[in-house]
Amino acid sequence: MPKHIIIDTDPGIDDSLALLLAAASPEIILDGVIAVHGNVSTEQTTKNALSVLELAQASHVPVFKGCDLPLVKESLLSPETHGNQGLGYAQLPEPLTQPKAGHGSDFLIEQIMSRPGEVTLVAIGPLTNIALAIRKEPRIVQNVKEVFIMGGAIQHPGNTTAQAEYNTYVDPHAAHIVFHSGMPMTLTPLDVTYQCIFTKDDLNRLLKINSPITKFIADSTRFYMEFHDEYQSIEGCVINDPMTLALTFMPEICDYQDLVVDVDISTGVGLGKTFADFYNYENKQKNMKVAMGVRPRMFMELFLERMEKLARNIS
Amino acid sequence: MPTTRIILDTDPGADDALAILLMLASPEIQLEALTTVQGNVNLEKTTRNALALLEFLNARNIPVAKGCSTPLIKPPHGTQGEEVHGKSGLGQAVLPEPKNKPIETHAVDYLIERFLAEPGELTLFAIGPLTNVALAIRKEPKFARSVKELVIMGGAIRSGGNVSPLAEFNIHEDPHAAHIVFNSGIPITLIPLDATYKCLLTSADVERLNKIDSPIARLVHDVTADYMEFYLKYEGFNGCALHDPLTVAAVIAPELLTLEKHYVNVDISGGVSTGKTYADFMKVAKQPANMQVALGVKGREFVELFVERMERLSRSRL
Repeated sequence: MPKHIIIDTDPGIDDSLALLLAAASPEIILDGVIAVHGNVSTEQTTKNALSVLELAQASHVPVFKGCDLPLVKESLLSPETHGNQGLGYAQLPEPLTQPKAGHGSDFLIEQIMSRPGEVTLVAIGPLTNIALAIRKEPRIVQNVKEVFIMGGAIQHPGNTTAQAEYNTYVDPHAAHIVFHSGMPMTLTPLDVTYQCIFTKDDLNRLLKINSPITKFIADSTRFYMEFHDEYQSIEGCVINDPMTLALTFMPEICDYQDLVVDVDISTGVGLGKTFADFYNYENKQKNMKVAMGVRPRMFMELFLERMEKLARNIS
Repeated sequence: MPTTRIILDTDPGADDALAILLMLASPEIQLEALTTVQGNVNLEKTTRNALALLEFLNARNIPVAKGCSTPLIKPPHGTQGEEVHGKSGLGQAVLPEPKNKPIETHAVDYLIERFLAEPGELTLFAIGPLTNVALAIRKEPKFARSVKELVIMGGAIRSGGNVSPLAEFNIHEDPHAAHIVFNSGIPITLIPLDATYKCLLTSADVERLNKIDSPIARLVHDVTADYMEFYLKYEGFNGCALHDPLTVAAVIAPELLTLEKHYVNVDISGGVSTGKTYADFMKVAKQPANMQVALGVKGREFVELFVERMERLSRSRL
């Protein structure tokens, strides 16, 4: 039976690829998309979510606008990674659809509470909306089916500070709220995403199909690949977010450990650092499943096949 | 003078109850709604107390919206507050179970709804942890500029703390919320311990009030009796500080307050000074002032004013 999924996202290049993968995957029903600040402003992430869904002929999926600022810290956008509009060199037409009225966090509360145990949340941006929803309606913790989070770097270095991954660094306080909430969580940290590189060869394989989908992937990832080359000496690009989504229906891509995971909110140099207490001397209850091992090509083949299928359908 | 229209965010709480009494006893004020938050006692109790107080005071037309049950990030303090405010939160006072229920709308949404409906018209008083106010600010970016003024009971600038050596209870309970509120751009008046500890209601004051045979006078006695015990035991004086009621002075007797404009922030570093409010007196941070702070008060004059208003309210309800 397909899973009911809500994606909270800040598109963002890899976020957009996650939206495309969602649209191309019969294993899931995408019930809604909530936009959050992050890679670019919420105004822009909302617009990008609408445009990408239209590109994928999935404009029936409702899009809601969420928080425009982190809870406590100052805003931190990342135009150098995703481009000023958030989609690299891709230029999508202005969306024809509008975001739905109401706040994203209220949509999340309403969906989870009206269908207890049925809604899976995939959170691939800063966790502000989720944290706000938990504090406003604590019962969503018991009633959400599962939460898949892209964020953190456990034994891997950070991509935003030496130690911290972008999503958890942008709103560490929100991550702290979510990590300690008691929701059933699966974390996809940089430890696994940085092993899955989308290469130029992968892109060329997709470009054999002439479609607005493949053109979008090429235009967006070209910018992303330039960033990875310039800042991280990686040939290709890391596509964190679609991988997180893929785990909702193909968990065998990764190997998991149950761990006690926390995030540093002490405002020192470790701010935003996610860390696991591997020895757990205090015998704390393990609060999440963490993907610590991955079969990179298993994910990449899935992603490429789904994008090929979507591209063939939309030409 | 036009009346000041107020929405009160509160965690009753013995001194919260006295602040509500003082607002209802003050013709300068029109109290339009209460929003509740966890703090002195848990959210179920603060909400119950808010409803029970309003019914007892014949003010059940004032709506109550229920808010957040935990601080944003810190775990709630547990039941220590019951040591100060009694198990129910209202000391020895036993009020009938309220017949009214809180309205359906969450306090955060209610605040957003009311302030956006009349931008610049309503004054917000926040006399508990600032969780609801912070969430309203983050959820609706237009909220901050819709608030005419925000009067907060909280913080200790030069004064010591009352919950850690450096920190005051309301701010310490949710320092992250305070950080959001202080840096929101809302025009703030802060009433810290520096001023409230100069306003001591003594047992002689309560005896004087109780020469009037009124349920109001008895309520003031019942709410403050254990509170005074606590002050005697821990702070060595026979009376209690009128923390929350002193906020009302910002409207009814601002001349009693010594107000200074400063840049004030709160420590959220996780170190020993977590929850400490500090003013940048020497302007080293080069930040514009974000609030006016009551660093002093004519304490006895305020207590007299409080007792007089309570006497007047008591006489109207024998």
